[in-house]
Amino acid sequence: MDGIVEFFRTAPIPPEVFAPSLGLIILLPLLGAFVCGVFGKWLGRANVHLVACSAIAGAFVLSLMAFWATSDAAGGRVVSMPNAFGLERDVVRYAISYDYGTWFAAGDFRVNFGLLVDHLSGILLLVITGIGFLIHLYSTSYMEHDDGYWRFFAYLNLFVAAMLTLVMADNLVLLFVGWEGVGMASYLLIGFWYTDSAKAWAGRKAFVTNRIGDFAFLIATFLLILTVNAFSQQADPRDYNSAGSSRARYTQGLLEKGPVTFKGLEKMALALPEGTGGAVSLATPIEAGPLAGYTFGGVMTATMLLFLLGAAGKSAQLPLYVWLPDAMAGPTPVSALIHAATMVTAGVYLFCRMSSLLVLSPTAMATIAVVGALTSLLAALIAFAQDDIKKVLAYSTVSQLGIMFMGVGMGVFWAAALHLLTHACFKACLFLGAGSVMHGNGDETDIKKLGGLYKEMKWTHATFLVSTLAITGIIPLSGFFSKDAIFHGVHHNHLHDLHWVSGFVYAMGLLITACTAFYMSRVYLLTFTGKRSPEAKVAHAHESSWFMTLPLVVLAFLSVVTLVYALPLMPRSGGGMQPVFENFLSPVLRPAEAVARAAQTVALDHSTPAFVDYLIAWLVALSGGATAAFLYLKFFPAQVGKPVPAFARAVRRTAHNKFYVDELYEFILIRPVKFVAFILFRVVDALVIDTVLVRGTAYVTEKVGLGLRRLQTGDAQAYAAIMALAILGGAVYALLQVLS
Amino acid sequence: MVPITYYLLLAAALFCMGMFGVLVRTNALVVFMCVELMLNAVNLTFLAFARMHGDGIGHVSAFFVIAVAAAEAAIGLAIVIAVFRSRGSVNVDDIRTMKH
Repeated sequence: MDGIVEFFRTAPIPPEVFAPSLGLIILLPLLGAFVCGVFGKWLGRANVHLVACSAIAGAFVLSLMAFWATSDAAGGRVVSMPNAFGLERDVVRYAISYDYGTWFAAGDFRVNFGLLVDHLSGILLLVITGIGFLIHLYSTSYMEHDDGYWRFFAYLNLFVAAMLTLVMADNLVLLFVGWEGVGMASYLLIGFWYTDSAKAWAGRKAFVTNRIGDFAFLIATFLLILTVNAFSQQADPRDYNSAGSSRARYTQGLLEKGPVTFKGLEKMALALPEGTGGAVSLATPIEAGPLAGYTFGGVMTATMLLFLLGAAGKSAQLPLYVWLPDAMAGPTPVSALIHAATMVTAGVYLFCRMSSLLVLSPTAMATIAVVGALTSLLAALIAFAQDDIKKVLAYSTVSQLGIMFMGVGMGVFWAAALHLLTHACFKACLFLGAGSVMHGNGDETDIKKLGGLYKEMKWTHATFLVSTLAITGIIPLSGFFSKDAIFHGVHHNHLHDLHWVSGFVYAMGLLITACTAFYMSRVYLLTFTGKRSPEAKVAHAHESSWFMTLPLVVLAFLSVVTLVYALPLMPRSGGGMQPVFENFLSPVLRPAEAVARAAQTVALDHSTPAFVDYLIAWLVALSGGATAAFLYLKFFPAQVGKPVPAFARAVRRTAHNKFYVDELYEFILIRPVKFVAFILFRVVDALVIDTVLVRGTAYVTEKVGLGLRRLQTGDAQAYAAIMALAILGGAVYALLQVLS
Repeated sequence: MVPITYYLLLAAALFCMGMFGVLVRTNALVVFMCVELMLNAVNLTFLAFARMHGDGIGHVSAFFVIAVAAAEAAIGLAIVIAVFRSRGSVNVDDIRTMKH
C-alpha cells in the first residue's frame, strides 16, 4: 500500500526537469494544426487522422506528466515553485511554472510568456487533452463522409492549442490570447459547413457576441493594470507584510513579470482587506492616475463586473447566451468538445483563477450568482419545448454553466470547478451520443421523429442513459454530487450585507434541478424508448462503429467515477473530513480563503452536506424525472386526438420560440445598430469618404494634370531658357543678399 | 599682370554668348559648339581663380571639365548623327516628340 502511494507521489520526470517542456503541451497541437491545415489535402484522410490524434495524444501524455509533477512529493518534499512577488520563504506549493522570457514590453509595462500548472489548471489540462483525444477519435468516424476533413482536424487541433494556452497562462494577457484563440476556433468550426448560409450566420453570431464580452474583458484588464500601479505607489510596508511580501520583492516582481500575472494580483488581493492596518484598503481612494478619486474596492467591483460580462460572452450567460444554441450548427463533435466540455467553461476557470480578487467584492459575487441562477432557470425552461436533440443539450449546457456561475458567485470555487469537470464528462458523452444517434438515423435531430432506439443502438443507449442520469442528479452518479456540492455551498455561504442571495439562489437551484430532470428525461424517453416514430427518416437505425462507441463508453465510465472527487475522504486540517476535490484544490484557493477571512466579505462554510440535504436534492431530481415519465409515457399518449387547451399551446409556443429573446435583441439592439450603420454607410462612407475624399482627390488630380501638361512642349530650347532664367533669378537674389 | 577681374569679365561674356547660342540657334551642331563655349568659359573662370589663389585645385577642375566635355562631345555627336540618319535633319525645332 505504501509502495503504491509512494509511486503516485513520485513524478516519473522530476518537476524541475519537466518544467521547461511545458510549452510542448501547447506546441504539439499547434504543430498538428499546421500540418493538417497546410499539407492535409496531400496527406490524405488516414494520415490526417494520425497526425491530429497523435498530436492530442502526445499533449495528453505530457499533461499527465505535468499533472503528476504538480502532485510530486518525492521523499516527503512537496513540489513548489518560488513566488516572484512574495518573500523568499513564501513558495507556491503544488505548482510548477516556467517563464520563457519577455513576450513584449513597453516602458515599465511588461508581459512574459510564462506558463503555470497547478492543481486547477492541471486537472483542466487532463480534461482538455483527454476528452479532446476521445472526441478526435470519435470525429475520425463521424467525419468519414466529409471532404473537408483536413480543415476540420486542423481547426480542432488549433482549438485545443488555444484552450491549453488559456488554461496554462500565468498572466491575464496570455490568457486573453487563448481566450481569443478559442473564440476564433469556435467561429471557424460553427461555420464549418460555410456553404449553408444559416450555419455561416450562426458562426458570425457566436463571434460577434463573444467580441462584446472580449471587449469588457480587455477593459477589465486595463483597470487591473491601473489598480496595480496605484497599489504599488500607495502601499506601505504593513500592506506588503500582510501579503507575505515586501516592497522590494513586489516591485522586483513587477519589473520581472509585469503587472498582470495571477501571482502578483493575488498578493495585491491579500494586502487590500481592511484589517491589515496598512495605508491601502478597499475604502482607500486612489490618489493619482486616470482612476484618481475612486476607491480600490469600487474599482475592484467594476473590474469584476466587467470580467463577468467577458465571462458571460464566453460561457453563454445572460445577456450573451444567445450564441450557444445556434452554435449547434457545427459538426456534433465540435458541440461536444467546444460548446459543452471545454471552451464554455473558460469563464468559470477565469473566476476560479482570480478567486482571490473576486472575494474582495460581494456585490460582484452576488451579481454573478444571480446572473447564473437566472440564466440557468431561463435556459432550463426553454429546453422544455425544444424538439431538436442538440438544441436541448445546448440549453442544458447553458443551464449547467449557470449552476457553475452560482457556485463561483457564492464562493464555492472548488465545487464549481468539480462541476466543470463532471459536466465535461457527461455532457461530452451526451453530445457524442446525440451525434451517434444522428449518424445512425440519417442526420435526424428531431426527437419526435426518433424513438425506440434502445434496441437498435445498444451502446449509444446505455451510455446516453448513464449520462442522462448523471446530469439529472441521481445517486450515485457524479453529477449529483457535484451539483449538490454547489447547492450546499450556496446555501451555507453568506455574502456580507447580501444575505438574501444565498436563500434565493438555493431555491432557484432546487427549481433548476427539477427542471433539468424533467427535460433530460423527456429527451431520453422520446429518443430511446417507446416505438419508432412513423416519420423516421430511416426504417432501422444502425449502431455506430467502435471509433464512436468507445469514446462514449469511456466518457460514461468517467461520468460515474468522477464522483470520487466529491466524497469526503480527505482529512481536514482542523479535524473532520473534507471532499477530495476541495482538499485537492486547496493550494490554489488558499489565498482566496485568506482574503475572504480578512476582508469579511463572504463567510465561507466548509461543512459537508448532511444526509437530509442529499435526500432533498435527490427527491427534487426524482420528482422532475417522474413528472416527465408520467407526462410522456402515460399522459400524452392517452391524449392523442383530443384538442389541446389554448393556454397550453401558448405556453409551449412561447417556450419553443425561446421566450422571444432573439426577437427582443433583434428589436432593441440589432435593428438600431443596423440603422445607425446604414446612416453611417450612406453619409460617412458613401458620401464623405467615397465621393468627396476618394473620388474628389482623383478628380482634382486629373484636372490639374490636364492643365499642367500643356507646359510640356518638347522644345528643349524652351526648357533651357527657363533654366537660364531661373539661374539668373538666383544670381540676382544672391547679389541682392550680398549687397544688402 | 592682368587683374583677375578682366579674366572673369571675359569668361562671363563667353558664357553669355554660349548661352545665347544654345537658346536661339536651331542647328544642333551649332548648339553643341555653344555648349563647348560655355564649358570653356567656366574653365577660364577656374584657371583665373586658381591663379589668384596660387594652388592646383582649379587646374584639376579644368582638366575634369575638359575630359567630361570630350566625352559629352563624342556621345552628343553620335546622337546627332543618329538623329540625322533617321530624320534627315539636325534642326532642334523639328525634334519635339517628347511632349504631352
